[in-house]
Amino acid sequence: MRPEPGGCCCRRTVRANGCVANGEVRNGYVRSSAAAAAAAAAGQIHHVTQNGGLYKRPFNEAFEETPMLVAVLTYVGYGVLTLFGYLRDFLRYWRIEKCHHATEREEQKDFVSLYQDFENFYTRNLYMRIRDNWNRPICSVPGARVDIMERQSHDYNWSFKYTGNIIKGVINMGSYNYLGFARNTGSCQEAAAKVLEEYGAGVCSTRQEIGNLDKHEELEELVARFLGVEAAMAYGMGFATNSMNIPALVGKGCLILSDELNHASLVLGARLSGATIRIFKHNNMQSLEKLLKDAIVYGQPRTRRPWKKILILVEGIYSMEGSIVRLPEVIALKKKYKAYLYLDEAHSIGALGPTGRGVVEYFGLDPEDVDVMMGTFTKSFGASGGYIGGKKELIDYLRTHSHSAVYATSLSPPVVEQIITSMKCIMGQDGTSLGGGWAAWWLTPVIPCHNQGKECVQQLAENTRYFRRRLKEMGFIIYGNEDSPVVPLMLYMPAKIGAFGREMLKRNIGVVVVGFPATPIIESRARFCLSAAHTKEILDTALKEIDEVGDLLQLKYSRHRLVPLLDRPFDETTYEETED
Amino acid sequence: MATATEQWVLVEMVQALYEAPAYHLILEGILILWIIRLLFSKTYKLQERSDLTVKEKEELIEEWQPEPLVPPVPKDHPALNYNIVSGPPSHKTVVNGKECINFASFNFLGLLDNPRVKAAALASLKKYGVGTCGPRGFYGTFDVHLDLEDRLAKFMKTEEAIIYSYGFATIASAIPAYSKRGDIVFVDRAACFAIQKGLQASRSDIKLFKHNDMADLERLLKEQEIEDQKNPRKARVTRRFIVVEGLYMNTGTICPLPELVKLKYKYKARIFLEESLSFGVLGEHGRGVTEHYGINIDDIDLISANMENALASIGGFCCGRSFVIDHQRLSGQGYCFSASLPPLLAAAAIEALNIMEENPVLKEKCGQIHKALQGISGLKVVGESLSPAFHLQLEESTGSREQDVRLLQEIVDQCMNRSIALTQARYLEKEEKCLPPPSIRVVVTVEQTEEELERAASTIKEVAQAVLL
Repeated sequence: MRPEPGGCCCRRTVRANGCVANGEVRNGYVRSSAAAAAAAAAGQIHHVTQNGGLYKRPFNEAFEETPMLVAVLTYVGYGVLTLFGYLRDFLRYWRIEKCHHATEREEQKDFVSLYQDFENFYTRNLYMRIRDNWNRPICSVPGARVDIMERQSHDYNWSFKYTGNIIKGVINMGSYNYLGFARNTGSCQEAAAKVLEEYGAGVCSTRQEIGNLDKHEELEELVARFLGVEAAMAYGMGFATNSMNIPALVGKGCLILSDELNHASLVLGARLSGATIRIFKHNNMQSLEKLLKDAIVYGQPRTRRPWKKILILVEGIYSMEGSIVRLPEVIALKKKYKAYLYLDEAHSIGALGPTGRGVVEYFGLDPEDVDVMMGTFTKSFGASGGYIGGKKELIDYLRTHSHSAVYATSLSPPVVEQIITSMKCIMGQDGTSLGGGWAAWWLTPVIPCHNQGKECVQQLAENTRYFRRRLKEMGFIIYGNEDSPVVPLMLYMPAKIGAFGREMLKRNIGVVVVGFPATPIIESRARFCLSAAHTKEILDTALKEIDEVGDLLQLKYSRHRLVPLLDRPFDETTYEETED
Repeated sequence: MATATEQWVLVEMVQALYEAPAYHLILEGILILWIIRLLFSKTYKLQERSDLTVKEKEELIEEWQPEPLVPPVPKDHPALNYNIVSGPPSHKTVVNGKECINFASFNFLGLLDNPRVKAAALASLKKYGVGTCGPRGFYGTFDVHLDLEDRLAKFMKTEEAIIYSYGFATIASAIPAYSKRGDIVFVDRAACFAIQKGLQASRSDIKLFKHNDMADLERLLKEQEIEDQKNPRKARVTRRFIVVEGLYMNTGTICPLPELVKLKYKYKARIFLEESLSFGVLGEHGRGVTEHYGINIDDIDLISANMENALASIGGFCCGRSFVIDHQRLSGQGYCFSASLPPLLAAAAIEALNIMEENPVLKEKCGQIHKALQGISGLKVVGESLSPAFHLQLEESTGSREQDVRLLQEIVDQCMNRSIALTQARYLEKEEKCLPPPSIRVVVTVEQTEEELERAASTIKEVAQAVLL
């Protein structure tokens, strides 16, 4: 066993290290031993072999280093693309090559150009080549299999024509349908249809004015129960839940500590809040602790006043890395330094934890320790919108001060109903209902689920482990935590992004491929999202094809062969899980 | 010759070295070392560094007490307890257990409980389920979305349209997609909150002009022109935008678009027009303020509107020329990073659009209630007579906003007791750039009958008299 080497891309250099010796957590309180604190304060990074039992379960997360040759070739690839880009821009400029992109109106030619020339260089010359891998229109439920509308381009992806054919039954490895609630039959659909007929599709008002329906109140009560928090509030869009509520929580004179790989919505919310933003390395607790310590000791820059409050922004599962937040350590740190924690469970709610309550349950922690529990209904619940849960005071404040509550139209009633039914399904109807206790739930009519919620969660967990293990065995470089249903498979080279996406579609599998700017420039990847709706047969088909394409495109970069997982008791060494 | 001399000097030096006394050599040696030290040491004194000791840091950390995450909300906060609407929020609605006629929802065309819209949405629900489980880029583009974009573009007679899954996010994402740091945006003081947030996200220079005051706008544009002449290099890369609303949400007034277009060409600034309130209401076919004034839609660089008012669905759209709109498909944050619009809502919007083309008439009604509401003692009507949403403000403020809000709420509550559902226009008082005075917003829809309009007007009149006098 050896520690995972620091990647050649520096942002991961210290990831594999253990946590800082920040004492141990008992009964939810940090008791830092003076020696450990002193060592940490002196700026030494301590790799301690016991982390005070913060983790109740193994935490296996790996980010294999990019092979040097691959990295070099990738840069060369981008170099060639850029050179050709310049050449073709030159040809277009002199009208030697036909210009496909839309142009400015004649009347407005003398206006300041709407786009900087370089702004669209990447789009024009790199993205355009492989544009057919994105925005593929579908015409069915985004379930385990999906129908894709075939399209063709006769001008190198500048425009698409629909052939009218439908590619039927494509295995869907792209949608965030973690628990398989994207369905057009069954109890959820029926309930939603009923509400749609009764209420209509829209609301035409905001929560604070006259768009607060009884359905919304019901949903919020249920969400609070589901999360195990005092109260919750639901919003019409997941993205806006972050971008419109963070500004209500912090402002000038406050500090936001944000993970470097946080989603755009968190970044936007942080920026709109007017608070100072500092970035810590992805999931790196030393980095976070150092920022926290410095922030409290040195206060605000220039004015030297102490910060009013510090808010840590993290995500449950990072959707591009497949990593799971080191929540026990984050909570220990936040308690030690009296910071507040904002946890975005967009991808983890429903998808993690034995009963789908998200990353808090996954680590066996207390939801009370997370100040702001945020998440979306888009993914696991097959609906749309987002929520925030927490203490009653927090929710009361948001009800009066959230930008969404005041200015944005509230959630559509049929969508609300979809969330209510799917959430009840995950809860297995067993959440003690409205103050009634056992008798009350016994008397409520049981809505038949397509699958018992708990089974869905277990199925997803099984699928995840199986799929990840098999891919690793095949020799692909797979990022992230072994329990994360988001599975990034590294492609690295720009040409392979397009090739992988197309080859997989040829084999009737829809995958998501991502490159720069969504990822660092050399770390292009394909991303699979597992679902409880995937059967073993579907997964095996997919794996077989991935294996084949992997050989064809030479994607099996991994130099670490995996040894069979042993049931080893958890200790620090499980951080470093790859084997030579 | 020269070499001989040099040799001689060298020999002499060596000889001198031998002859010199030891203490002298040592002294010289020390002096040489001293010089070397002086050469290499820093000539200035470092600042008094008083690094905190570990213990001091510990104490500081121990000592620091953050503010609470949120301040406590008083139990009687006017916005804490929402009205609860049971059942559909359509024409007749049950608010807090009492059936009322709805004068508060933006359901201008009464499409919320239109059976055709519901049927279309239901068909879509049966085909696609509810959610899309992904952003547009990653298998979240449904054929319905493409249809809706197509229909909107055709309806508005523009090249292209793009849909967002949230009305608020539409203009708030569109502005920062184009306007960047260093660019200049001229914006009306009364602009709605979504515009304000979009501007904040863009980090551009913002110049506010007086509400609907074209002279003031021109003054700012001129100032900028003078500024530009001073620094033509910078001016060549500084984009200029004018951001206005068709009908202003906060005032119910209409923007003077013809003048704006003139100014646009004179000062070479692009116009972004937010039409959430005017879309589906103004113009012969409901195309909004461009149609109302008979202005070529291509003269407006970008039109944005939400589908949450007249279309009674959820989401929003932007339309304009492909050259402009297409850019948002990679740069509109709310488009790229958010799950796409649930297909059933897109289908509802398509059907609503179909119905809208059959052209319902709303304008006369707006005029009617406007007239009926004039001359209420203590309240003044703010807003255009053709606007379906307008404001009732206190004629004379009591001096404190809190007190004003309480008075208006009293009117709203009493109207509600008499089966007229109204609402105050809600604002975040600390967040608004230019906070509008408190007001009751009255919304007129096609479903309200003349009798109901009469009744509403007389109820408001009576209640206002009772409360304010």
